[in-house]
Amino acid sequence: MSFPILSVVTFLPLLGAILLIFIPAPKKNVQRGLALAFTFVVFFVSLALYFQFDSTTPEPQFVEKAAWLGYGINYHMGIDGISLFLVLLTTFLFPIAVLSSWTYIQKRVKEYLLFMLLLETGILGVFVSLNLFLFYVFWEAMLIPMYFLIGVWGGPRRIYATLKFVLMTMFGSLLMLVSIFVLYSLYYKATGVYSFNIFDYYKMILNPQVQGWLFLGFGLAFAIKVPMFPFHTWLPDAHVEAPTAGSVILAAVLLKMGTYGFLRFALPLFPDALMKFLPLLAVLSIIGIIYGGLMALIQKDIKSLVAYSSVSHMGLIMLAVFSLNLEGIEGAIYQMLNHGLSTGALFLIVGILYERSHTRLIKDFGGVASQMPVFTAFFLVCMLSSVGLPGLNGFVGEILCLFGVFQSHKIYAYLAITTVILAAAYLLWMYQRVMHGPVKNEKILSFKDMNGREIAYFVPIIIMMFWMGVYPQSFLRKMDTSVNHLLKRVRNREKVFVREVENRVIPWEQIVPKKRAAEEKKGDE
Amino acid sequence: MSNIAALFPLVIIVAGALLVLVLEVFLKRENKSYLGFLSILFLIVCGFLCVRFWNKDYAYFGQALFLDNLALFLALLFCVAVAFIILLCLKYISSQDANHGEIFALLLLALSGMMIMTSSSDLLVIFLGLEVLSISCYALAGLRRKDERSGEAALKYFLLGSFASAFLVLGLAFLYGASGSLRIPVVIDHFRAGSAAGLLSLAGLALVLVGFGFKIALVPFHMWTPDVYEGAPTPVTALFSVGPKAAGFAVLLRVFLNFWPASGETGLIFWVLWVISVLTMVIGNLVALRQTNVKRILAYSSIAHAGYILVAVLAKDNASLIFYLTAYLFMNIGAFAAVIGLSKKGKEYLELEDFAGIGFKYPWLGATFAIFLFSLAGFPPTAGFLAKFYVFSAAVRADLVPLVIIGVLASLVSVFYYLRIIVYMYMRDPSGEVDIDIENPALFLVLFLCLYGVLQLGIFPGNILVLIKQAVASLPVL
Repeated sequence: MSFPILSVVTFLPLLGAILLIFIPAPKKNVQRGLALAFTFVVFFVSLALYFQFDSTTPEPQFVEKAAWLGYGINYHMGIDGISLFLVLLTTFLFPIAVLSSWTYIQKRVKEYLLFMLLLETGILGVFVSLNLFLFYVFWEAMLIPMYFLIGVWGGPRRIYATLKFVLMTMFGSLLMLVSIFVLYSLYYKATGVYSFNIFDYYKMILNPQVQGWLFLGFGLAFAIKVPMFPFHTWLPDAHVEAPTAGSVILAAVLLKMGTYGFLRFALPLFPDALMKFLPLLAVLSIIGIIYGGLMALIQKDIKSLVAYSSVSHMGLIMLAVFSLNLEGIEGAIYQMLNHGLSTGALFLIVGILYERSHTRLIKDFGGVASQMPVFTAFFLVCMLSSVGLPGLNGFVGEILCLFGVFQSHKIYAYLAITTVILAAAYLLWMYQRVMHGPVKNEKILSFKDMNGREIAYFVPIIIMMFWMGVYPQSFLRKMDTSVNHLLKRVRNREKVFVREVENRVIPWEQIVPKKRAAEEKKGDE
Repeated sequence: MSNIAALFPLVIIVAGALLVLVLEVFLKRENKSYLGFLSILFLIVCGFLCVRFWNKDYAYFGQALFLDNLALFLALLFCVAVAFIILLCLKYISSQDANHGEIFALLLLALSGMMIMTSSSDLLVIFLGLEVLSISCYALAGLRRKDERSGEAALKYFLLGSFASAFLVLGLAFLYGASGSLRIPVVIDHFRAGSAAGLLSLAGLALVLVGFGFKIALVPFHMWTPDVYEGAPTPVTALFSVGPKAAGFAVLLRVFLNFWPASGETGLIFWVLWVISVLTMVIGNLVALRQTNVKRILAYSSIAHAGYILVAVLAKDNASLIFYLTAYLFMNIGAFAAVIGLSKKGKEYLELEDFAGIGFKYPWLGATFAIFLFSLAGFPPTAGFLAKFYVFSAAVRADLVPLVIIGVLASLVSVFYYLRIIVYMYMRDPSGEVDIDIENPALFLVLFLCLYGVLQLGIFPGNILVLIKQAVASLPVL
């Protein structure tokens, strides 16, 4: 058996968390060092995924499969071109998140780091699971550390924010759970085999009415996570109240779980329902784009400005996903990574300002540039990356997304383009008010520029922004096959259905030979 | 197979109870905890016998008392539960002024009642077991003699419980009149014959349902639960929330599960149960939202959990029902153990306000309590999640999708009040008054064992599932 690299990557942070319990509470730097070491090792191990990834096949790679609870519940992991980069994004950002909270978090450091590491395991688990049960376990389990991170280390309204976050997410997930049960039972009734394997579900053709309900179940869970308008209300609260690293992870990775869910489950499993709901979803995405942008314009708090900019950007990503063509979906995945980097970086910027001034209101700042030249440079790059300046990563993603949308629906594209204009408006305006102009607040005169640690965690982000902006090939080519395969699955399934409209589940035997079904049955027992 | 060995586990427990009762007279007040250890010894012997009798199918008194795998599994479960309760009592009774050796004898007698209920196929014998259990429970509830609320709990429980028993007996009389026997297989055959069912037997069945609905606290027969749970000594409350409930469901399993899919009149009973299940889940969870006393929150949560378990009854999935009961035992006793841990001599901290900040002040107590609450709320990777998962997935397979949707939404509501306790524990500043006596090894043993159970059942329940499958295989297949 080969090296179980995905399990190692997923569960190494958990091991770190367990070790952390045994370090005495006063030794804060040992705890921080341990957490940092573990997140670093996870990142380096996960780099092997990138280099050994075979971009010629759409099949999942690094697959690990083991029997677990029976009845189709298996331990089944693997990644393809869609999840590869989300895994890498997660492992890349966690050391940065740990570094960024080095001095920011002073009380209960051990518990904080413990939850960070648990969160990393949960998130990675979501991206690598190929068994729907396993996926759901990680999807839900990941809420617990986030609940504590916001609720214990957050701002003044943290309890409200964290409960809202958990309850809204749970509302969606529980309905998704019911949909999973329905899929599971339909599959069993059609084939006589218990399975939670998503590749088995891909082969199943459901009647469109059932698809509609199931799509709503899955789609709601993912739409809340993304979040799409009108399910976005938890996001500004959670972002504003969360500690810096929590916001970074929330914006950069957690939101991507929603878009990932659409790509992995909602699209390929329910293509007919997707077609039915497509206009609605596209309109909601566009409302999200414009609404998020307008809301960002009027925010007084930098952090909630960035939070609303997330709503706007995620709207564009969702719209690109629903364009259902190669450019659109690759652009969406690429923009997911970009958004992770640039919004994550913006939250770090806010964190740096907040650590110095203990305020996040735009009106309290002004003229910061004169005191913090290095910081100014980093801020500028991150801000421009989020705006989508050519040469930086955001441009590539946005242009691909817009190309995709344009191909599928021109009017949507015209409307979606406002995201670029609005982003430029609210970000540049905010930058100008915070960094330039006269120094309004005497505290600013005592600001120290970024220290070595802060520069150390910003440099990799900046490098990635330039790399992804200048040479996107090294990322896009790894996704091509998987995205094409996904599209084929969505489009062809639709055609199959149009050809033979049947008001029932097509029996398994018509899709795969009986022999194989029997074999799988054996395997499952 | 008729064999007098079938009586052994029961005889051991009853003998233990009587011995404890006699020895109690000779022991000084400080030394009552020896009785606890003695009781645990008897429990271990009984548990050992249960393990040895696995797959043997011993029966005696002409099948009126038998030990099939289901009875053995549940007996083992009850032994574990009672052993936990005894460990929790050891310190509690001396610090909370309930230092009566009778508590151990009563616990063992209650256990014998539960064992009789689960190991009989005669409804009259089941009633006998129920009464042994109930009367022990009434006495247990009133054990804190100087506390008014304890007395109120005992009286309330006794009065309402007697009514429920009366209903049950009346129901049994109707059933006997209709079918000519109180042996469960005969009664079931009578119902399966269909046409002959008639109003009499249906009324009988409904009254039996009322009787058991009271014991397992189904809405609308739940009114006694919060007051009794609040007033009774906390370890006893832990037993109430697990033991009688599991025994009651075991009887429902034997009596009701096999009536369907018969349509017609028994279809009515199905819908009655459907409505009761919805009411139990919804009302239990909604009312719990408004509570500020942790014992009352757990009381309403136990009502809601009865609703989820009833979903398993409706889905006719015996294995997931038993699994739920097993998981529920560990997580609920664990949660009560943590509540008991938060006490000192003569004082229990039960209001939500008292829990402020204790998560960081007492890290192990806080963390384990939080895990039990997450498990009760149904978060993975704990037993509570897997239990709900099995129950609801079975229900979907039985085409009960609307019921499942109501169920998951009700459990969403429950997430709020479970998390609220955690909010107080971890996200509020300590009020400063709470000063507990943390030195209590027996309690921490229980906490640890329950934690182990919750995680083992949540992540690697393989072996238990095999046992459960063997246990439910002993039910008649119809």
